[in-house]
Order: sequence, then C-alpha cells, then structure tokens
Amino acid sequence: MGYLKVRHYHGGIEDWTQSGSPFQTGSMPLPIAAPIVPKSAAAPAPTEVVRAPALSRLTEIVHQWQWGSRLVELIDRQSTSRLFMVWIALTIFFGMGYWAAGLVHHSGLYEEGRRLDGSLHGLISALYFSFVTVTSVGYGDILPRGIARVMAVAEAITGLLIFGAVISKFVSRRQDQAVAEIHRITFEERLDRIQTNLLMVLSELQWVSMMFADKKTPVERVSARLESTALVFAGELRTVHYLLYRPQQAPEEPVLAGILAGLASALNTLEDCLRAVPDGYARSPVLAHAVKTLSHLAGDICATCVPTVYAPTLTVWMDEIHDIAGRIA
Amino acid sequence: MTPEVAQISDEPQVGDISREEIVRRLNDPKLTIVDVLPHESFEAAHIPGAINIPMAEIEERAGTLLPDPAAEIALYCAKFT
Repeated sequence: MGYLKVRHYHGGIEDWTQSGSPFQTGSMPLPIAAPIVPKSAAAPAPTEVVRAPALSRLTEIVHQWQWGSRLVELIDRQSTSRLFMVWIALTIFFGMGYWAAGLVHHSGLYEEGRRLDGSLHGLISALYFSFVTVTSVGYGDILPRGIARVMAVAEAITGLLIFGAVISKFVSRRQDQAVAEIHRITFEERLDRIQTNLLMVLSELQWVSMMFADKKTPVERVSARLESTALVFAGELRTVHYLLYRPQQAPEEPVLAGILAGLASALNTLEDCLRAVPDGYARSPVLAHAVKTLSHLAGDICATCVPTVYAPTLTVWMDEIHDIAGRIA
Repeated sequence: MTPEVAQISDEPQVGDISREEIVRRLNDPKLTIVDVLPHESFEAAHIPGAINIPMAEIEERAGTLLPDPAAEIALYCAKFT
C-alpha cells in the first residue's frame, strides 16, 4: 500500500505481555474517523517551549496584562462601518466631556483667554475642539486646561488607533477580495485541466485497447504508449486524490462528479488494456510501477475512506473507482 | 502472515523490529505502532500508544489513519509468526 518503512514485531502481543512490558487495555484513544497527523518533517508536532518556573510566572503576569493586544484584537474583529461609527461616537462623547469639564474650577476649554461656559456656544466649541483633537489637526484656537488636557491626550491616542484600524481594514478588505478571486480562478483552471487530461488519457487508452485487439501494430509500440499513458494517468490521479483528501476548497459537486466519472471510465479502460496485453509479454517495470501507484491511489478513493461526506451520486463513482483499483492491483 | 501483510511488507525498507526497540521507542512520535488484531483483542491488551487497524479493515482505513507513506510503522499481531 505504498508504506516505505514497515517493520514487523514477530513476538506479537503474546510475547509483549509475557515479557512483562506494560500494556494498555480499552479501545482506541482516538475517534475512528480522525486521521493521525502524519508524524513526519512535513507536519512537525507543535513544540512546547520549556521555560524556567520564575520566568514562566513572569510571562503569565505579563500575559494577564496584555489588555493592549486584546484591545487591538477587539478592534480587529469589528466591521469597518462599525469602527467608523465608534470613532464618531467617541469624538462626540469626548466633546461632551470637555463641555462638562468646564464646570470644574480652573479646568475646561479656553478661547482667547476666556473660559468657555455651559452655554450652547460652549457645547459647539467643545465638539469642534474634540474633532480637531481626534484628527490630530490641532489648530490651537481653543486650548484645554486642567482635566481637559488629560482627556485631550487620551482622545488623541484612542482616536488615532481606531482611525488607523478603519483605514487598514478598508485597504485589506480589497486585498482579501483580490486574493480570493485569484485563488478561485486558479482552482477552476486546475479542475478544467484535470478533466481535459483525463479525457486525453481515456482516448489514448482506447487506442491502446483497439491496437491490442487489432494485433497488427507491434506489441512493443503499443505497450510503450500504454506505459506513458499510465504515467500521465498516475499524475492526474494523484491530483484528484489530493483534491479529495485535502479539501480546503472543495469543487462544486457537478464538477467533481464529472471528474470522478472520467476517472472511473479511464480506469475501466485501463483494466481492459491490461487484460488485453498478450500472454507471455511481461509488464515492463515502468508500467508495473505506474499501475501499482494507480491502484494504490485509486484504492484510497471510496465513500467511507475520504474525509469529507459527499452526495450519494458521488459516492457511487468513488466506490466504483475503489472496486476497479482492487481489480487492477 | 496473511496476504495483506505480505503485500504491505513487500516494500523496500522492510524488516523486523525487536521488542527492545519498541520498548525503547514507546514515546517516539516518529514510530507508529499498529495492532492488526480484531477490536476485541485490542481492547483486552495492546502495546501502549498503538493504534488498531484490524486486518480486515487495512485496505479501507490504512489510507486515512496512516496517510504518510514515509512514516515508520511497526506491525504486530497475536503471537510468534
């Protein structure tokens, strides 16, 4: 089945328990359908960073105080329009705050040395000052004093942070759209290519099968063609296999049905070709290897072994592919 | 050995593995230990950390449970074979 490093423990469980080695009882610790993550260099297990106890306590404390990064994450989760609304609301809220700060002695906003009072003019000026501060324009025609200074600093910081997030979100949204579109186009082209190539493989195999039946063309020529076709076929099958086992982007069901149907008929024809190879004519190593790869890959395609659950129309094709794989093995 | 095991073992880097090596490498994540006995015997006793793929299900499930053909695998069954 293609495994390269299989070794056999001849003693079996009997030898194991008799030798006094520890053994476990009970059923398998992992759910039956869950595949084991390949334990190879391609997918390294997450390594745990070992830290000294004191250091780890310190990092824990720092981690608990990471409200700054949590705030950034919180901002990141919001939509652009919502963030913009928050930004406006923040500005108005701070404007009201400056206005209220005017009630405290020696505090609030001053225009040309005169303190702004609680009138309507004072409220409008406070809102104006808030917008000037949050956009970091800072004309300087109105000056904060006392507690209003602290508020102005806080407003400038939070305002810039949120406004920056709005801008970056706006830009990255466009980028995400473009990347998704590129992915979609590439994927569709790939599916098209698989279908076309499977058709080509099918017609080649049909020719081979015809020539074998015809018995006019020399066997060497026909089998050389069968060899190369089988190699191309194995490559295509590998792609389909990949598609079914790593469905980050699953093809639409009609497309997948088309691919599987093409695959099944090509495999069927291959089976006929292999049967039609004249007696006494041994399979070349290349052909034998290609057929082995084909049967191994196609054997993995069945309704119960692929990780995703597909519609019944697709599973019928998959099971047929699986059956043919068993026959050509 | 049944035909399936013969077929699996019919590969380049095949060999035997001793009990000592398995004991030594029980916690080695690179070595996957596979119990090819039926579920009942697996439940009764198995090597710690082994996974169970009964002989009858090897064809169906080996592909999903052991997707990496380059992984090191140690097979065992009931007794001396």
